[in-house]
Amino acid sequence: MAENLLEVNNLTTSFKIGGTYFAAVDDVSLTIKPNEVLALVGESGSGKSATAFSIMGLHTKARIEGEVNFLGKDLTKFGPNQFNKIRGGEIAMIFQDPMTALNPLMRIKAQIVETLTIHGKKSKNENEKYAVELLERVGIARAEQVAEAYPHELSGGMRQRVVIAIAIANRPKLLIADEPTTALDVTIQAQILDLIRELQEDLGSGVLLITHDLGVVAEMADRVAVMYAGEIVELAPVREIFKNPKHPYTRSLLTSIPSEEQMGGKLHVIQGVVPALHKLDRTICRFSPRIPWIDASEHEENPELREVEEGHWVRCTCYKNFYLKETNAEDLAELENQELERDAVGGNEDEQ
Amino acid sequence: MIKFTIRRLLITFPQLILLSVLVFILASLMPGDALSGLIDPDIPREQVELMRERLGLNNPWYIQYRDWVWAMVSEGDFGRSIFHQRPVMDLIGDRIWNTVWLSLMTVFFIYAIGLPLGLISGRYNDTITDSIITGYTYLGFATPTFVFALVLLYLFGFVWPVFPTSGSVRAGIPPGSLDYVLSKINHLVLPSLSVALIGLVGTVQYLRSGVIETKQKDYVILARSKGVKEGKIYSRHIFRNSIIPIAAFFGYEITGLLGGSVIIEQIFGYPGMGRLFLESISTRDYSVANVLILFYGFLAIVGALLSDIILSIIDPRIRIK
Amino acid sequence: MSNNILEIKDLKVHYPVRGGFFNTIKDYVKAVDGVSINVPVGTTYGLVGESGSGKTTTGKAVMGLNHVTEGTIMFNGHELTGKGKKVDNHKDIQMIFQDPYSSLNVRKRVFDIITEPLNNYESLTKAERVNRVLELLKIVGLPPSAIYKYPHEFSGGQRQRIGVARAIALRPKLIIADEPVSALDVSVQAQVLNFMQEIQKEMDLTMLFIAHDLGVVRHMCSYLGIMYRGRLVEEGTVDDIFNNPQHLYTKRLVAAIPDIDVDHVEKNLVLRNQLKEEYEQNFADYLDEEGRAFPLQQISDTHRVALPVRS
Repeated sequence: MAENLLEVNNLTTSFKIGGTYFAAVDDVSLTIKPNEVLALVGESGSGKSATAFSIMGLHTKARIEGEVNFLGKDLTKFGPNQFNKIRGGEIAMIFQDPMTALNPLMRIKAQIVETLTIHGKKSKNENEKYAVELLERVGIARAEQVAEAYPHELSGGMRQRVVIAIAIANRPKLLIADEPTTALDVTIQAQILDLIRELQEDLGSGVLLITHDLGVVAEMADRVAVMYAGEIVELAPVREIFKNPKHPYTRSLLTSIPSEEQMGGKLHVIQGVVPALHKLDRTICRFSPRIPWIDASEHEENPELREVEEGHWVRCTCYKNFYLKETNAEDLAELENQELERDAVGGNEDEQ
Repeated sequence: MIKFTIRRLLITFPQLILLSVLVFILASLMPGDALSGLIDPDIPREQVELMRERLGLNNPWYIQYRDWVWAMVSEGDFGRSIFHQRPVMDLIGDRIWNTVWLSLMTVFFIYAIGLPLGLISGRYNDTITDSIITGYTYLGFATPTFVFALVLLYLFGFVWPVFPTSGSVRAGIPPGSLDYVLSKINHLVLPSLSVALIGLVGTVQYLRSGVIETKQKDYVILARSKGVKEGKIYSRHIFRNSIIPIAAFFGYEITGLLGGSVIIEQIFGYPGMGRLFLESISTRDYSVANVLILFYGFLAIVGALLSDIILSIIDPRIRIK
Repeated sequence: MSNNILEIKDLKVHYPVRGGFFNTIKDYVKAVDGVSINVPVGTTYGLVGESGSGKTTTGKAVMGLNHVTEGTIMFNGHELTGKGKKVDNHKDIQMIFQDPYSSLNVRKRVFDIITEPLNNYESLTKAERVNRVLELLKIVGLPPSAIYKYPHEFSGGQRQRIGVARAIALRPKLIIADEPVSALDVSVQAQVLNFMQEIQKEMDLTMLFIAHDLGVVRHMCSYLGIMYRGRLVEEGTVDDIFNNPQHLYTKRLVAAIPDIDVDHVEKNLVLRNQLKEEYEQNFADYLDEEGRAFPLQQISDTHRVALPVRS
């Protein structure tokens, strides 16, 4: 078995809300080996992007606890200069929206050369030549001309290829891809995903893929970590997640996607909403308010992530006797009413 | 780019003609003319009439207008000041360099002081330094320039007489010597500072909010993820992007200052364009006033053009084809 | 008489491109270039395409939100375009927008947002309006307490449902839904989709559903039109499009959808690469000299494809 490339241990990232810190990433541990794609899945507010940003040290105003061990060094102890040596070099990142991820005032070439100059000691000429090679490598035709272009002259798909070219410029060992295809059209998405996989196999890098799209997960990942409200609730090989999902949240999510089988039929709706950071009850199973038909005795207090089958980790005991239940529209409305009322009361408390 | 400039200048042409007609008509509608205030009441009316006739002041306005324009276009003759008895261009020529130096000095102070302040307050927003700087900008917005100028004049002209209180150069130094240049600069400091220190608050606030907005942009985060050092992040990525709104005003700022400032020139007794304009109006010296108004109109149009060109140099997205 | 509530014939929306020394019209951007669509009453027609394909422009043309260069739009037997414009289409045709955050006025309360279209067309007393809003809120599954709240107090899915309540306030016959769920999370998306289907049944609504997500479209629509650069390249039932795509562009589009079945991953990848090669080699054959898709040809009762014209 290969050594772990990245070992995140008990990572907790907290943000200040009204003077108090609240954890957006709560005690998250995960590992990535070379050549492995780990998908971090969750909906908005689940803390998946915050996890990626914490690993990259990109949060400017957060409190970060725990360890991020990359090749044996704890990145959380790094100062800005140490971090700058590793960022863009051994760890690189691909961003969500290619329309905003490139500096509009700089030529494509300059933006690629910038990262080459920081992490290599080659001459300007060599770097510029290599920049064009990189553009060819990510499948851009007429790379010479594109290198001289400004971002606004390129399409979204092309820009995302440029962002990828920047990321792989220094042959990173770990690639963090934060929703790399969310902003792209479906045919472009397929091309970009194929490109990322090809480059990853080529470089032998580990990939942390952050996405909310389960289709993308199925196509790309080796292992999957499902996040809900700041915690990992299930962690398993990709096949297990889709063929043998255990945690109620994973199961609910999978049945809420429109699929061929249930064409035109009703989709499963998860009751309620993801609670706000500062209103989260952190002592109970965080998903329990959204599956109220499951008896409280099925949950445990301060639920832990346990290995229930080999390589398959699940949080809380409630998965054992879980069943899906459709809620009728009136009950949903009633629940939402309660939430709105509660928010209104909470709002007043905030003001005081 | 050249095509664009030429086209813009061509559009300028009809605008200038319209402006000149308007100016001319308004001037001729005013009661009195250059002779009415000047002439001794003892001089017989007939003689005054004769003079009017000779100067062409009795012709209908469109004939006068035609003569005026024709003289400008064919001979470069912008007319004579009846009050000063000198060609208008000579009068303007005396003053314009004073105003040019004052404007350049002011622009220099505005950007030399305003840009660093804006950058610092945007980069370290919501710190004490930022609060002091923004506090100053609020104060600057609220203070009228003339009050501030008078305070400066009082402090540095009278209480600690470091700078001269009026004029544009010390009398009796031969032009061209180093002393002459230094004395000129010495005379410029107070008036330009009093305009700049108030005029820069807009620049500071624009830049501050530009920096605050830009530093959260995705491409700045991407630059960080490339390992770019914080200083470079600001100089290379944030600064250029957040200066765009300021660049959009740069042309106007320069040409606006070239028009001269009546108030500042009056307070510091500085012989510039602003005072010339004021004088020409109060003495009904319309041949001077008309040319000056035309000149101001021309400046405004050039300012807009200059702003567009500067903007297109900074921002490739609006690069002109 | 046909039972089509909406008939679009040869719709063209062209925008002039200006340039040169005198800023004259040099060319046209053909955002929509000859699209014909018939939508039967009570059905959902899905308009699919990538960004820039002209799907949103088509929807806006039906709403009367942009000018029509050529072609006719018949709604309920009345012409919406040209001089013969008699019906006020804004009452019977309503739109649901993509972004629930920016399409609601943040300074207005839900009551004002929903009654805005009502005030324009009907004179109701205050009490009648309150009753109507409560009724609408019930239809979209929001509690009565929502009536005097502001948009920021709601989640994304709830906001999108307020947008829907506003759209159905005048009991329209046709709803144009422009990417109504693409800004929402999966679980919220499910809720909005479910309930759009419900109100469609209850109110006998016809829907023009504009989207780029083929999974969602398959779930919601009975007929689909695939757009490419301002023209339709294929049209048919969901079954025709997904199980028997004929146009190379459609084939590639369908193959590009990520499949959540992990068993299909390898097979999909092979198919995608195969289609990619075919696309690079042969796609020019599917377009005429000007790069436009060919006219649609009927290949079955429901299925029409823009196959190359063999001359």
